[in-house]
Amino acid sequence: MSLLETRGVNTYYGDSHVLFDVDFNVERNEVVALLGRNGAGKTTMLHSIMGVLHPRAGTITFEGEPIHGLDPQEIAQRSVQLVPEERRIFSGLSVEENLRLAALTAPKPLQLGWIYEVFPRLNERRRSRGGNLSGGEQQMLALARALIRDPKLLMLDEPFEGLAPVIVRDLSGVIRELVRTERTIVIVEQNVRAALQFAHRVYVLNNGHVVFQGTPQQLMQDAELTAAYLGAAV
Amino acid sequence: MPSLGLFLSQLFNGLALGALLALVASGLTIIFGTLGFVNFAHGALFAFGAYAGFLTYQASGSFILALVAGAVATGVLGLLLEWGLIRRYYDRPPEDQILVTFGIGIVIVESLRAIFGGLTRDVSQPSWGNGILNLHYFFYPTYRLEVLGIAALALFALYLLIYWTRIGLIVRAGIEDPLMVRMLGIRVPRILTLVFGIGALAAGFAGVVDSPIISVAPDMGSRVLVESFVVVVIGGLGSFPGAIIGGLISGEILSLTSMIDPAYSDVALYGVMALVLFLLPRGLLGTEGRI
Amino acid sequence: MNSSAGRRALTPERIMAIVLLALPWLAPLLHVTADVLTRSLIWGLFGLGFDILFGFTGLLSFGQAAFYGAGGFISAWLLTSHTVNSVALALLIGTAVAAVYGLIVGFISLRRVGIYFAMITLAFGEMSFFLENSPLSALTGGENGLPGVPSPSIDLFGHVYTVGSGWQMYAFMAVIFFLGYVIARRIIRSPYGMVLRAIRSNPRRTPAVGHDVQRYKLSAFVLAAIYAGLAGGLLGLFQGYMPPDAFSLDTSGQLVLSTVIGGRGTLIGPLIGAFTWIDLRDTLQQFPALGASWKLVFGAIFVLIVTLFRRGIAGEIGALLERRRRAREPLAPSATADQRPSAPAPAPAPQRVRAAAQGPAILEVRNVAKRYGAFTAVADISLEVREGELLAIIGPNGAGKSTLLNVLAGDLEASAGRIAFQGSDITREEVIDVCHRGISKTYQINQLFPDFSVCENVEIAVLAHERGRFRADCFRNLSADPSRRAKAETILEKLGLLPFADHPTAEMSYGEKRRLEIAIALANDPKLLFMDEPLAGMSPVERAEAVQLIAALAAERTVVLVEHDMDAVFRLADRIVVMQNGVLLAEGTPEQIQNDADVQQAYLGGVDEHEPA
Repeated sequence: MSLLETRGVNTYYGDSHVLFDVDFNVERNEVVALLGRNGAGKTTMLHSIMGVLHPRAGTITFEGEPIHGLDPQEIAQRSVQLVPEERRIFSGLSVEENLRLAALTAPKPLQLGWIYEVFPRLNERRRSRGGNLSGGEQQMLALARALIRDPKLLMLDEPFEGLAPVIVRDLSGVIRELVRTERTIVIVEQNVRAALQFAHRVYVLNNGHVVFQGTPQQLMQDAELTAAYLGAAV
Repeated sequence: MPSLGLFLSQLFNGLALGALLALVASGLTIIFGTLGFVNFAHGALFAFGAYAGFLTYQASGSFILALVAGAVATGVLGLLLEWGLIRRYYDRPPEDQILVTFGIGIVIVESLRAIFGGLTRDVSQPSWGNGILNLHYFFYPTYRLEVLGIAALALFALYLLIYWTRIGLIVRAGIEDPLMVRMLGIRVPRILTLVFGIGALAAGFAGVVDSPIISVAPDMGSRVLVESFVVVVIGGLGSFPGAIIGGLISGEILSLTSMIDPAYSDVALYGVMALVLFLLPRGLLGTEGRI
Repeated sequence: MNSSAGRRALTPERIMAIVLLALPWLAPLLHVTADVLTRSLIWGLFGLGFDILFGFTGLLSFGQAAFYGAGGFISAWLLTSHTVNSVALALLIGTAVAAVYGLIVGFISLRRVGIYFAMITLAFGEMSFFLENSPLSALTGGENGLPGVPSPSIDLFGHVYTVGSGWQMYAFMAVIFFLGYVIARRIIRSPYGMVLRAIRSNPRRTPAVGHDVQRYKLSAFVLAAIYAGLAGGLLGLFQGYMPPDAFSLDTSGQLVLSTVIGGRGTLIGPLIGAFTWIDLRDTLQQFPALGASWKLVFGAIFVLIVTLFRRGIAGEIGALLERRRRAREPLAPSATADQRPSAPAPAPAPQRVRAAAQGPAILEVRNVAKRYGAFTAVADISLEVREGELLAIIGPNGAGKSTLLNVLAGDLEASAGRIAFQGSDITREEVIDVCHRGISKTYQINQLFPDFSVCENVEIAVLAHERGRFRADCFRNLSADPSRRAKAETILEKLGLLPFADHPTAEMSYGEKRRLEIAIALANDPKLLFMDEPLAGMSPVERAEAVQLIAALAAERTVVLVEHDMDAVFRLADRIVVMQNGVLLAEGTPEQIQNDADVQQAYLGGVDEHEPA
C-alpha cells in the first residue's frame, strides 16, 4: 500500500479547472519530484493533498485512509506537513515562537535542540522576529517548522525559489540529510536540476495533466519531453 | 489659565479614562485582528458586564467579587454568541457582519432594559475606594486613581495572555495567517470563540470598573462603543499596542479639552480621528493585510 | 428589470400611487391611525436616500441622522425664529444645508471603505449630536429641541390652505413621499443608477472600466443627505416640534434596521420596515407590561432577518415573484456546458504576420520599477510595445510578470520609471484615465459584475466609454439609449455570447465567463489590450478556442499578455519578453527565445552542476 495515493483527482480553483484526472502516488521513504512550468498545477496538487483545496472529483488516501475533503488541521494531525511556496512564517513571532507553535499539537515533536543542530543559523537567530530574517533564513525556518512535527510525509513547494546559490547549497545539504534518514518527501520545483538531485521518482505536470512518470534518468534521456514541458525550447 | 492643580487633575482623569478606553478597545482590536470584523455589540457587552457586576455587588457586598463576576459573565456571553451565531458570518461580506453584531447589541441592551428597567442605578464605590488623596498640587478621588491602577493591571494581564501564553501565541499567529495556523494542526474555530470571549470579558470588566463613576443604565455602552471605535481608528485596527496608545491619547484629549470647554471635548476627539484618517489611513500602528 | 412594455402595465410607481390613495380607507381595517402612516412616510422618505446609498451602492453609513437632524433643525429654526415664513423655502434651505453637510462628511468618510467607512460615519453622526446638544444649544434648544414649528400652509393662487393634522397631514406627506419615490426610481433606472449598482457589485472592476467611483459615491452620499434633510424638515412640521434625538445614534440605527428588515435595494424597504416598527411600538405600548419591549422584539426580528431572510420583507417577496416570472417565461433553453456553442471560429487562425514588428512604438516603458517596502517585485524594466503586435511576457514563478502587467495597465502605481502611451506620459495616471485612453486589461481571476446579466456586464463598461468618467445623468432612462445595448450586443456576438445576453452571469460556464471577462475589456475599443493569464484553468478544448480568439483580437489591436502555456505563447506571439526575479532576461522572436541559453538555464535551474546527485 502506498503511503499517499491520489486517483483521478480533479481540482478547481473557483470555476477554473486546474487539475485533470491526476494519478499520483508516493511510497514510504522515497522522494518524489513533481515538476512542470508554473501554472501547470503543481502547487494546486499539494494544496489538494493538504486540504487547502478540495478536489471536486477523485480520491486522495493517506496510509489507506481517505483524506480528500478533510480540513488542513485534520490532515496536519495525520502527520502530513506542507512547506508552502511563500514560506508563510509568522513575521511577528520570533524564530523560537514559530517553532514552539508548530510543535504544540504534534503528538511526538522533535526536540528543539535537535532542530537547532540541523539549522545552526536558526539557533543564532532564535530570538529574532521572523520578519527580520533573510530570505534564506525564512526558508530554513519554514522547513524547520514543518520538521519539528516529525511528519510522515513532508511536502516542499519550491524550496529553492528566489534563494542565492550559497543558500541553495546549504538547503540542499539539509534536504540531502533528510533523504539519507529516509524521510518521505514530495518536492515541487521549477528548478529541475535541483529537484532531480534527490528524487527517486519524477512526475511532470503540464496544464493540469500528468504527462510523464518515471525515474530521473528516464526523464533526462527524453530530451524532447524535457524541452517541451520544462524548458522554453522546441 | 487653568491652575497647575486643575491641569494635573485632568491629566490623571485622562489617564484613568484612557486606560479604561484602552481596555475596551483592546478587546475590540483583538476581535478584529483575529476574527476580521468590528464588533458593534461591544458597547452592549460593556453594559452587560456592568449590570452583572451590579447584581453581584448588591448580593455580596464585595466589589472584587463583582469585578470577577462581571468579567466572567460577559466572557461566557461572548463565547456563546460566537459559538451560536457569529461564526456563521465569517464568509459573509463585512457589512453583514457589522449588521449582525449591531442587532445583537440592540437585543442585549433592550433585554437589560426589560429586566432592570430604564432608570439609572448608582453603584457605590468600594470601601477601599473611598476618600480623597492629597497629591501635593491637587486633591484627587481615591477611586479614580485606583481605576487607573486596576485598568493598568488588566491591560498587563491581557499583555501577558497575548505574549506569554500558548493561547496568545496562537492568537498572534492567527491574526497574521490563519490558514498557516491550521496547516500546523491547530483547530482555529475554537481559538476564534475564545478570542471573542476574551474581548467580551475585557469589555465587561471595564464596565464594572467604570460603574461607580458613570452609573449603570441600559444605554451606558453606546458612548463607549463610539469612543472605542475612535481609539482603534487612531491606534490602528488589529494592534494591541495601538489600542493602548490610542486609548491614552483619546483619554487625554477628552480630559484636557474639557478644561477649555466641556461641550467641545467629544467634538475634539472626532476631529483628531478625522485628522488621523486623513494623514495615516492605517492609524498609528495598524497591521497590514487585514483591511 | 425587464418590465413588459404597455400602457396599462402596473409599474411600481402606479402601484405606489394606488396604495397611497387607498390607505385612508384601508387604515381602519388595519387598525392604524393617520399619524402612524404619516410617520412611516417620513421615515420612508428618509430611507429612500439611504437605500440608494446602502442598498444600491453598497455603502453602509451609520450616521445619516446627522443630515436628518441638520435639515430638520435648520428648517425648524428658520420657521420658529420667523426668519423665513414660507414653509417651502424653509424646507428648501434646510435640505440644501443638509446637502452641503453631506458633501463635507462624505468627502472625509469616503476616503475609506467597508468597515472603516461605517465607523467614521457613526462617529460623525455622534459628533453632530454633541454639536446640537451643547455648543449650538442656543440655536437648537439643546436637550429640549425646538418647539413651535408651524403647520405647513400652501399658497395656491391667493388661497392659503393650512394643512391640519390627521389625514390632511397624511395627504401632504403622501404627495411629497410619492414625488420622492418617483425621483428615486428614476435615479435607480438611469445610467447613473446603473453605475451605482455596478460599484456595489464589483468595486474593483468599476473604476477599471472607466468610472470615477469616488465621484459617484460622493454624489450618492449627497443624495442620501438631501432625502434625509427633507425628511427631517418634514418631521418638524408633522410634530410641530423638532426633537433633539433626530440627531441620535438611535435614529441612524433605526434607519439601518428598518431598511434591512423591509428589504435593502428595493426603495420601499425602509417604508415597510419603518411601518413595522412604528406599528409594533404603538401596539405593544397598549400593554403596560410590554410597553418598552418593542425595541427588543424589533431587534430580535432584525437579527433573524439578517441571518435567514437576507433580502428583507420586500426583497424576499420580490425574489419570489421574480422566480415565478422566470418559470413562466424561461430564457433561451439552457444547455449543458458541453452542448453550448463555443466561441465562433473566426477566419482560420492566421499565421502570425510579422510585419507588425516594424510598427511604431505604442507603449514605451523606461526603467520601471515596483517595490513593496524592502521587496522589489520589478527591478528596472525598459521595453517597447510596437503597434499591432502581440507581445508575450513569460518567466518563472516570482519573476514579476503580473506585477509588471498591472503597473503598465494602471492598476498599480510604479515606484520609479516612466510609461508613455502614444507619446503621452501615463506613469502617474490612475486606472480610470488609462481606460479612457484606450487601454484595457483582462484579469487572471474573473472580475465580473455578478448581480447583472451577461449583456449588462458589457453595458456597464460601454457606459463609461460613452459618458466619460462621471456624468450625473440621474434622470435619464436607461432604455432611452438603444445604442448602448446595441454596442454591447455587437461585442457579445464577436465572442459567441449573444444567445446568453439576458442570462444571469452566475449561470454561465467557466469558459463563457472567461469570454465575458474579455468582452467587458473590449467595450472601450481598446487600442492596447493587456491580458493576465487568459488561458488559466482552461481545459485543452477551451484552450484551443481561446487561442483562436486571442489571435483574432490581436489582428485588430495591440495585445500584451502574460501566460504560462508555452504552446499558446509560441503560436500567438510576435515577440516574447522573458523576466526573472524582476528583471528582463531576454527579448526576441519566438525562435530566438527558444534557442536562448540564458532562458533555458532560467527554466531548468541554476544549481551548480558539479553537485553529486
